[in-house]
Order: sequence, then C-alpha cells, then structure tokens
Amino acid sequence: MAGSTPGSGFAEPAATLARADAAPVRDRRWEVVRRAARARLAPFGAAVLLLALVAALGAPLLAPYDPVKQDLGHALAPPGRAHLLGTDSIGRDVLSRMIWGTRVSLVAGFVSVAIAAATGCVLGILAGYAGGRVDGLVMRLMDAVLSFPPLVLALALGAVLGAGLTGVLIALGVVYTPTFARLMRGQVLAIKAREYVDASRALGASGWRVACRHVLPNATAPIVVQASLSVAFAILAEASLSFLGLGIQPPAASWGSMINAGRGYLQQAPWIVFGPGAALFVTVVGLNFVGDAIRDALDPRLRT
Amino acid sequence: MGRLVLHRLGATIPVLLLVTAGVFSLLHLTPGDPIDVMMAESVDATVKANLRRELGLDRPIAVQYVAWMGRVLRGDLGRSVRNGEPVIENVGRRIRPSLQLALLAMAISLLIAAPVALASAVRRNTSIDRAGTTFALFGICMPNFLLALLLIFFFGVTLRWLPVSGYTDPAEDLIAGVRSLVLPAVTLGLALAAVITRTLRSSLLEALTEDYVRTARAKGLSEWAVIRAHVLRNALIPVVTVLGLQLGTLIGGAVITEYVFGLPGVGRLVVDAVFARDYPLVQGVVLLIAAGFIASNLLVDLLYGWIDPRIRIR
Repeated sequence: MAGSTPGSGFAEPAATLARADAAPVRDRRWEVVRRAARARLAPFGAAVLLLALVAALGAPLLAPYDPVKQDLGHALAPPGRAHLLGTDSIGRDVLSRMIWGTRVSLVAGFVSVAIAAATGCVLGILAGYAGGRVDGLVMRLMDAVLSFPPLVLALALGAVLGAGLTGVLIALGVVYTPTFARLMRGQVLAIKAREYVDASRALGASGWRVACRHVLPNATAPIVVQASLSVAFAILAEASLSFLGLGIQPPAASWGSMINAGRGYLQQAPWIVFGPGAALFVTVVGLNFVGDAIRDALDPRLRT
Repeated sequence: MGRLVLHRLGATIPVLLLVTAGVFSLLHLTPGDPIDVMMAESVDATVKANLRRELGLDRPIAVQYVAWMGRVLRGDLGRSVRNGEPVIENVGRRIRPSLQLALLAMAISLLIAAPVALASAVRRNTSIDRAGTTFALFGICMPNFLLALLLIFFFGVTLRWLPVSGYTDPAEDLIAGVRSLVLPAVTLGLALAAVITRTLRSSLLEALTEDYVRTARAKGLSEWAVIRAHVLRNALIPVVTVLGLQLGTLIGGAVITEYVFGLPGVGRLVVDAVFARDYPLVQGVVLLIAAGFIASNLLVDLLYGWIDPRIRIR
C-alpha cells in the first residue's frame, strides 16, 4: 500500500491541545472552521470530496450507461462522444464503471476507518483505564497486529475471510485499529491525571461516567484528525486489494479491479487504466488536503 | 547499551508469541471447513481426510496449536498443499529477487530523497521547496500499481527501453538482470523516496535552526561546510527510524510491484498462495515476513540507540 503506515509519527497526546480559551463553544467551533478553510489547498480537497460524494450517492442517475452491461460490438472504443472515457475489453462504459466505483472506494475508506476508530477507541479506553495486566495484554495485542506489514496482514485476512467488500472492510478495520487504540490510550492516560477527573471522582462519579463525560469528549480531537487522515490511505489500501483481486468481485466495478482488468490492454486501450487511476489519485490527494486542513484546524501545533 | 538490547529483546517475546497465535488462527478463521475451502468439491473424500490428518485438523485446537508451535520452533513451517514442498524451500527459492528489488529500491529512494530534501530545506519557501514538497505529497498519494503501470506504459510500451515483465538474475547476466529490475525498483523506490523526503526535509529544517549551526556560521564556515559537517549529520538520524518504520510499506509495496512486473519473489508467493487457497503456505510465509519485520525493527531500534547516544541514556 503506497500507504505509508497511516498516521505514523503524530500520535501525540491531545492533552497538550490548547483548551484554555474561554470563548463560548459556538465561537470556538467557528474558529475551527475558519482555520480549516484558511488552509491553502483545503478548498480543492473539499471540492474533490464533494464531487466524490455526489458521484457515489447519485451513481444511478449520473452514470450514462449500465456499469455491467457488455457491448462487444464497441469493445475497446477510445474516448469519444458516445463513451466519454471509452469502453473496456468487453464494451462496458469506463465512465459509468468509474462513477459506480466511487461508491466502493468511499464506502471502503469511511467504513473501514469507522470500524478501526470504534474498535481502537474501545480498546484504548479499556487499556488506559484498567491499566495493569489488561493494559499490557491489549497493547501487546496491538503491537502484534503492527508486527505485520499492513498489506500482507490485509491480504492474509482477506484470504481467509473470502474475497468481497465485507472481507476487505474487516481486514482494513483490523489493520488500522492499533493506531487508534494507541492514540486513545495515550489520551486516557493524560486526561485521567487531570484535576477535573479527580474532582468528578471525588463527587462520586462512576468510572463509566468519567469515561463518557470527561475522557471521550476531550480525546475526540486527535481521533478525528487521525481518522480524517486515515480515510485516504484506506481508500488506497482497498484499491490495492481490489487490484490484486480480493475486493469487490466482478462484474461489479471498483477502481482497483478496473485498473487490474485494463493492464493487459495498456498498449491498445490505456484509457481503461488511466480513467480510474486518475480518479483514485485525485481522490486520495484531495482527501489528504482535507485531512491536513482538519488537523491544522483542530491542532495547529502539528502543522508541518 | 547491553541493557537496552536485553530490554528490547525481552519486549519482543510476548509480541512474537501473539504473532504466532494470530498466524495459527488464520486457518481457523475461514468460514466453513478449511479443507473444503482449500480443495475442490470433486476431490476424493480420502484425500481430504488425509490432508485433515496431516494438518492435524482432526485434533482439539489447543493440541493443534502446541504441535504447530513445536514444529515452528524446530524450524518446520509446514508444507505447501499445492506442490508439497516445505514452506522454507518455497521461500528460499523466491528470496533472491525480493532482496535485490528491496536493496535497489532503497538505493534509488535515498539517491532521490537526499538531494530533493536538501534543496527543499535550504531554499525553504521558494519554488524549489514547493516542487520538493509537491513531489513528496504526490509520491505518498500515488498507488504503487498505478505508478508501475505508468512506468510500463512510457518506458516499456511506448519507448520500448526496458522489459515490462519477467526476471533475470543479475548474477547470471548483469545487464539483462539490472534491466529487468529497473522499473520495479523505481516503482518501489519513488514511493519510499517521497516519505524519506518529507522526514529529511523537516529534520533538516529543525537542524538548521540549532545554535551550533549559528555558531558554525559565525565562525565563518561556508554554507556548504555548515550543512555537510553539522546539519546533514544530525538530520540523518530520524531518517534511519523512518527507513525502519517504512519497512512494512516496502514489503507491502514489493507484494504489488512483484505482482505487476511478474517478478518471482516472496511477495508474489504470498499473492499466489492466497489465490491458490494454500493456507499452510500463506501461514508459513506470513509468519516469516512478520518475523523478519520484527527483527529488522528491532535492529533499527538498536541502531538508533547506537547512532544517537541520547536514546541510550534514556
């Protein structure tokens, strides 16, 4: 996965986030949005994300052709008026398949990161809160997951879970869980030591209440930042697995599988590869800009 | 330093145990009967029963794990269901192209990243810097397989300069061997170069603001001498860590690169084993890759302690 291990290198505890400002919550939220919008490339990223969302949601209306309908009479047709991005080796419209593929990519990106974030946060809270043996066991488990190169682990899990989108979502969810668990644990440890937590405890709040009322809300910023940066890498990872043949199965379209199907026709019909390739690349770059903007807005100190 | 080595080794053992448990349970995660998944329905029932017995699947799971661990500790990683050869032999035959690819890719990545990052950091906030950071961003966002296909399209299909697939061992025919490795190594190297460029640029920027750099400049040293003797040496330390952290990416990238270019390496072996549903082979190779990954990370950690005395003291 071109995906350098997502998020590596900035798992800084958010307890250091500046929270001293006493401005009303609503003003602070606007400040966050204003800061995000000030990031130079954020508008481009937002536009790409919006376009991808529109394509994914409106695929049935936007796609000019049925994405799985074959038309052997027009196989390998170059881009033209009838088929804006040409057709593939069995005459399917590349643009229509690309639009439908957007759905798979976005679902893979957002759902797998949601799975990872939810599992990682629960494990992180458990480890940070319980401490001792539970902490040791959970964190060694996370170390063990991190001991596998991400793509190799996803491949192995995909292999046993069977090809298909569900297998890929679970596999990627597992691969990204440790990042969130480590981040969450760090947050919990830092927040647990705060005075307001002591005060809450002294007032008789249960451990569960402290976790929900104090720890979680204060730990969300870095989790959101990590999640937004991970989505782009998850989309890349899904495309890689689909490219290798493990993702959504034919005839359904995904960008990775379209690129793999087109690589045998690179000489006669390069558009089969370059259409979905460009879509994948632009989406990942755009999501990266959005992720950077969110990071700059929520935690300006991490700006590179 | 000795204590650091012992500490790190000790911390690795429980992780290794969990890794083996994970790899062992891979076979048991298959929905349904793993034997049915591995073999076609038409295969004779006695053949299936034999395989079940051979893999020990007819015994309780705890007994299976102990027996499997015992074999792993003796260096027996099992046999491929498809060709009947031991996993170690399968990997042994494939390791050469993978290592050649990884080394060449690393060399290419350093050759690209070092000058780009240096130019970027020294000429901060100029168009040179912007070009450098854009290169890094694009390199990180570019999927390996797409870059591979772009390179094949330009240098293989259009210009016909280099072969688009296949492998020749450079030890047998140096020129043909290197030619067969150039495109895969550039594919893998560019992605790595992007990550290294980012890290090296920021550590160079940090080193450039240090007091000892100001002192060196005040002594009247030329800018190049300052960079060479003071900045570069200190800035290279984080790069070692990044190289270690990126090993996983390198291995993952090698899987895809070997697949696209038809290189008969270990990455290709994983993909083939996955699609042949050869689970014992998948288990064996994945375990070997994970062990190699853990070992190299350990090595990088220790190397880091050796390069930077501050780590040792901590």
